[in-house]
Amino acid sequence: MNKFAKWGLTLPATILVVALLVVPVLATIATTFGEPKGIFSTYTAFFNSGFRTGILYRTLRIALITTAISLVIGFLTAYVIAQMPGRLKSIAIIAAVFPLLTGVVVRSFAWLIILGKNGIVNSSLLSLGIISDPLSMLYTEGSVIVAMVYLFVPLMILTLTGVLEGIPRDVVEASASLGAKPIATFFQVILPLAVPGLIVGAVLVFTGSFTSYATPQLLGGEQMMMMGTLLYQRAMVTFDWVGASTIAAIMVVITIAVVSIMSRIARRLNPMAV
Amino acid sequence: MTVSLTIEKLSAHYGQTQVLKDLSISVAAGELVSLLGSSGCGKTTTLRIVAGFLQPTSGHVKLGDRDLTTLPAHARDIGLVFQNYALFPHLTVQDNVAFGLKQRGVSSADRAKRATAMLERVGLANLADRLPGALSGGQKQRVALARALVIEPPLLMFDEPLSNLDAKLRVDMRVEIRQLQKANGTTSLYVTHDQEEAFSISDRVAIMNAGRIMQLDTPEVLYQKPANAFVARFVGFENLIPMKTVARDGAIVTAEAAGGAKLHLSQDVFGPIADDFVLATRPDGLVVRSQGEGIPTTLGTRTYLGRAYQYKCETAAGEITANGALSELFEPGASAVLVPVPEQCCILSPEN
Repeated sequence: MNKFAKWGLTLPATILVVALLVVPVLATIATTFGEPKGIFSTYTAFFNSGFRTGILYRTLRIALITTAISLVIGFLTAYVIAQMPGRLKSIAIIAAVFPLLTGVVVRSFAWLIILGKNGIVNSSLLSLGIISDPLSMLYTEGSVIVAMVYLFVPLMILTLTGVLEGIPRDVVEASASLGAKPIATFFQVILPLAVPGLIVGAVLVFTGSFTSYATPQLLGGEQMMMMGTLLYQRAMVTFDWVGASTIAAIMVVITIAVVSIMSRIARRLNPMAV
Repeated sequence: MTVSLTIEKLSAHYGQTQVLKDLSISVAAGELVSLLGSSGCGKTTTLRIVAGFLQPTSGHVKLGDRDLTTLPAHARDIGLVFQNYALFPHLTVQDNVAFGLKQRGVSSADRAKRATAMLERVGLANLADRLPGALSGGQKQRVALARALVIEPPLLMFDEPLSNLDAKLRVDMRVEIRQLQKANGTTSLYVTHDQEEAFSISDRVAIMNAGRIMQLDTPEVLYQKPANAFVARFVGFENLIPMKTVARDGAIVTAEAAGGAKLHLSQDVFGPIADDFVLATRPDGLVVRSQGEGIPTTLGTRTYLGRAYQYKCETAAGEITANGALSELFEPGASAVLVPVPEQCCILSPEN
């Protein structure tokens, strides 16, 4: 393929991304440095507000916990799926991905019904006599995390199943033949070789949950506000566009930082991982 | 520490299909025995059972007086060299070699020393810090060999270790494998489908077919005195001519092939000859003459082999391949006789 063809074929996509993503993002970030009170004034204002930094830390905490739980659940599920024989495997993958066919709002709403005062969890616990008054589970960090894990685990399973299936059988057998017990083979061979998948999965889940809007809005409410909701309020309720842009810029920087820290950890475990 | 490997009456099934049928082999301490056969003959299955990756339906695997049959793979202490190298892609050459030592709780200083020493023996000490992805096929197989040898296993097994290498390297590597194996005196089981490789590297070779051993012997005996028609064909006795004894005169047996061609064969050369037997020859074991005692034939296609002319010969006993001398050229369609050279023939029981 000649040089022109390469450029020509990627040109439409490049133009779309540059014109509709890169330029607007840079323009948005640029506005945050144009305040009369000083270049970084909007950022100092953000970090001087306990309310806003509280939301930032909460968002970061919820996103990291969601990522960690999704990694564990997703890895275990994918490990089992990867061992399954062909037909059963297809069924299991379809079952795992099935929730993705409905919208985020619908799936978050389902948790309102499950976790609500008169929801399934409370009514079963009440009828079993384990509790005498309904628990308030909604509008807590826990409820947001539970719903987000449920939202993102299918992505993790999908990514990891592919990676785990790609680990050659003879490499695992070589490990056993060299005297590695199953647990040692897992930690010294399978886990490091799954790292590229763990990273892709973790980045997908982290960015997804860090920037989520509908789920915290529905299940967290005002008390458990996250960055997405805060940004929406700045932009659409108070029309503070510069403030909203500042939040957006902070989110972009934090996402990049977390992703690069993850990649660094990954390279430690497996020098072949990107 | 050298011990023998004993495989006793091993049977294995994949679903309903029986892939090993009462297979028994014993490999003496320090000996290298090859399992040779085409794909599906059960050679890899045998190796996988010995390694502990497959469970046999019945039978036993013993290393010295230790019964391995029910031990998990990681507790068997067997060095294994795989066809696709099976190196750990995320570990350096050094760490690949040290992997087995680490599992055995060898201290990290000692590990490094022993891995380095082993890498020096296979000539790769300068690549210790590379990842396997940056190595050539031959280098990868050397690392795999070093990784299997460094744990000083009482048994080494090779699963078609050279089939992914090019022809020249294959020859070099098999010499190297043999030297290392002999120097260490490690009992070894070697699986291959390549006859030349098996014959050149082994003390004894087991020729396998359909889950059974057809013959287990030294390469010399297999090559010159195959025990049955399967092994004979396998080692190049292309012509199997069914014959009937029609007269006996002392040591001399007169036998007749289909179509009435008579041959005189000496029992001093062939040993006792039964009434019904098969005369097996390679194309080189037949002399093409214009007349005399032999099997009459009409010569067919002639091909030039460099050292001889090869003829496809139509006879009353079926098609026979013979290599004729360069000095005497026959044209296709000519009549001739094929005279077996006794020293290059062997007598087999008829196939059923």
